[in-house]
This record gives sequence, C-alpha cells and structure tokens, in this order.
Amino acid sequence: MLAGILWNSPNTDGNRMNNFRKNIVAVLFTPLFLLLIVYPLIALLVRLEWNGAVKTFADTYFWLSVRNTLCAGLLAALLSLVLAVGFGYCYLFLRHTLIYKVANLMNDLPIALPHTVAGLTLLLAFGRKTCGFLGETGLAFTLLAVVLAMFFVSYPLAARTVASGMDKMETEIIDVARTLGDTPVKAYFRVVLPTLGEALFSGFVLAFSRSLSEFAAVVMFGGNLPGSTQVLASYVFTKVEEGELEMAVTASCFCVLLSLLIVATLSLRRRVWNAKS
Amino acid sequence: MLKVEKVGKSFHPRRVLREVSLSVDSEIRVIMGLNGGGKSTLLKIIAGIWPADSGNVYIGEKNVTGLSPEDRGIGYVPQHPALFRHLSVQENIYYAMKNGRGAVEDSNRLIAMLDLKDMLDKKPGVLSGGFQSRVSLARALASRPKVMLLDEPLSDLDLAIKENLLPEFKKVLKALGMPVLYVTHDPREAGLVGDSFSALVQGEIRGIHSAEEAFDLIKADYVSD
Repeated sequence: MLAGILWNSPNTDGNRMNNFRKNIVAVLFTPLFLLLIVYPLIALLVRLEWNGAVKTFADTYFWLSVRNTLCAGLLAALLSLVLAVGFGYCYLFLRHTLIYKVANLMNDLPIALPHTVAGLTLLLAFGRKTCGFLGETGLAFTLLAVVLAMFFVSYPLAARTVASGMDKMETEIIDVARTLGDTPVKAYFRVVLPTLGEALFSGFVLAFSRSLSEFAAVVMFGGNLPGSTQVLASYVFTKVEEGELEMAVTASCFCVLLSLLIVATLSLRRRVWNAKS
Repeated sequence: MLKVEKVGKSFHPRRVLREVSLSVDSEIRVIMGLNGGGKSTLLKIIAGIWPADSGNVYIGEKNVTGLSPEDRGIGYVPQHPALFRHLSVQENIYYAMKNGRGAVEDSNRLIAMLDLKDMLDKKPGVLSGGFQSRVSLARALASRPKVMLLDEPLSDLDLAIKENLLPEFKKVLKALGMPVLYVTHDPREAGLVGDSFSALVQGEIRGIHSAEEAFDLIKADYVSD
C-alpha cells in the first residue's frame, strides 16, 4: 500500500505486489528517512514559540553569536579554499612527492578524528604554552581560534571537492598550455582554476556550511564566551544548559533556516552551471 | 628537423616503446599503429609532457631531452581539441602571445586560412566539432612552433567532416614548412594527409612507403597477437 501511495500506481493487487518488489529498497528507506531525519526536524519546529522567538531576537548575545558564526565561518571557508587550491596544485603536478602524499593522508584525518581531539590539538599547538607571547591565552579563546577550529574541520571537504573537480577535468588542457609556453604555475592559474569554477564554489560553500555546524572543536579551542567567541552552535548549548529551552529552539530553527539557505544556494548554482555547460 | 634517437618507455610491466628512432624534415610524417600501441606516448615524450626512460629528442641540432614542454618550442594538438572553454576563440588562438610567442599578424593569417573569422568572439563550447579542431590547430600553430605534433586530431569527427578538413589541414601545415608528426590509426586519413609513413608495431618503428602498407603491417601484428 505504501508503494501505491508513494508511486501513484493504479490500486490493483497485482500492481501493488509488483511495485512492492520493484521498490523494496525505497519502501525500506522511506520510513527510516522519515523517522530519523524528517521527524526530528519537525519535532524541533513544532516547539517554536512566539515568546521564545521574541526573547531570543531581543538577546544581544544571540545576534553576536550569529555575527561570530557568519564571520568566522566565512573566514574559515575562505582559508579552506586557499589551502584547497594549494592542495589542488600538488594533486596535479606533485603527485609523486612526499608533501602530496602527506597532505592527501592528512585530508582524511580531521574527518575521522573526534572534534574534541581536534580542538585539543589546536589548543596545545596555539595555546598559552606555545603562543603565550601573543597574549595571555595565546591564540586560544579568541575569534581567530574559532576561525582556526572551523578551518581545521572544514578544509578537508574543500580539498576533496576541488580534487574531485580536477578528476572530471580534461587534463589535456594542461599539456596544451604547457606547450604554448606556460609553466605549471601559470597553467594552473590561467587554465585549470578558471575551468574549475563549479568545484571551487562548491568547495567554498561546503566548507562554510561545515564551519557553521562545528561545535566541539570551537568550544575546546575558541571557548564559549558570550559576545566574544560564542557561535550559534554553542549559544544553543548554553541556552539548553540554562534551561531556556524556548530560546534554544528559536536559535536552532534559525540554524536550520540558515543551513537550508546554503543548501538551496548550492543547488541553484549547480543548476545554473549545468544549464550553462 | 626533428630527430628521435633510441627512445624507450615502459609502463610496468609493459614496454611500450623499444629504442624508437626516427627523423622528420619539413614534411608530414604519419605514424600509424594499433590503439594503445604507444603512438600518443611517443608524441608526449617528444613534447616533454612525459619523460622517456631512455634515448634523446633533438629539435634542429639541439638536444631537448631534459627540457620542459614550455621550453621545447613544440606545437601540440591532442586527440580532443582541449580548448580553453573560459576563453573566446580569439583568446585561445592568441594564448601563446601571453608567453611572448607568435605575433598578431601570424595568428590573423591562420584565422583567415582556417576560416575562423566569424567565430572569434564565440566560446569554444558553442562551436561544432570541426571548428573546434580548426581552433585547436590554429592555437598550436600561432605559437610559431619549430615542430608540430598532432595526435589523432580529427578522431572525434564524422568521416564526411574529416575528409573536408584534412586537405585544409594539410595545406596549412605544408604552407608553414615544418616537421610534422601526425598520428592516426585510420589508413584513409593517413593517405590524405601524409607525405611519408611509419608504422609503430610492438613498440618499434618500421619505415614504409604508403598508408596501405602500414595498415597491412599493423593488421598482421594484430592477427599474430
């Protein structure tokens, strides 16, 4: 019956059985998807209250956390893209070198690493003991620390996206550019990067969205100082801890909206690119 | 003159080129062989895109074996036109001038010879396959190369378009009077464009007199395989 409803087929017994067999994977997938992905989001949205929204939107710390999230996320995504462009060069021209092999291996590490561990490594690397000359806490518990924590977890996504864009590229354009007098660096900037527009854009947006969602590494290295290093994710956590559930719900709904906006932008841009090509 | 001396290349465990030697004066030398027989590898080694395991490549009197592709002065037309899609046709053809190669007058002459005048502002993506091949040839020639390498440049095209384009390509290449290596596995294409012929059989170059003779040699090699 579920198959009949979902795939709009005539409601005969034979058709029902056929549809069930044909779409068995989708029949199993759909309830799980609805239960585990859609239902939790609905559970959040139905808890949204007018009073909570008014209270949250009147809270200066909320808007400061939005500002911190967006600014740090954009900077982290930009930094990720710059490094991903560097990685892309190694991917194309230095694939037999040690630096490429190490960089390629390390790309997967931040994905597998618990993000509390990522935060701790950053704290030890750039904290009071090693970078004390930069301030009382080194780089830790500053907005720059938030940027670095976000970058640490989002860079691999940007690098992977740029590299997969290169896999789809016609590599003969590099050979031709070289015979026309380009050095590898010139060919990379004049020919490779301009043809990778979509991959670069996707890499940036994915890194940005990953940055917005980061909590553990940000709190470990950047802290959770309201108005200073607090981001949306840690604002929600704080409000839950303080028992201000309606404010946490409002901030969470704001996060969902922001994420949807990013996903929609990415999808729209892809469609434009596909239409162009 | 282009001279290739005992060039060898292996892609472990297969030996693709075995001490290949050839020399080409101001002529169009067609190299024929089976797909995957090492023709493209040979061109890439001559262009400096891939290193050879052994042997030397000379352009004129100069040994260019250790030089990068940008320092060899070679024009390369790959199998697919490989046009720079973010640039216009004109920008593609003028590309080498960014690196101080070629001149506007030469490029404009090529544009006229290859009938590309009406296409200059267009992006390569909107051109037909035949015109993309013309742009690819014009772009390589506009860099004033000392040697031209063409790797099955018309393989993407229909037979009818190919047969129209080949005499035009030949005329342009002959007008510039430089050594040209033209790789193909199509005996008809070889006959239409070539002045002299070689066959690449089991990694070795065999000199022959006609495209048909090369084809027979390759066919015998395929059967014996």
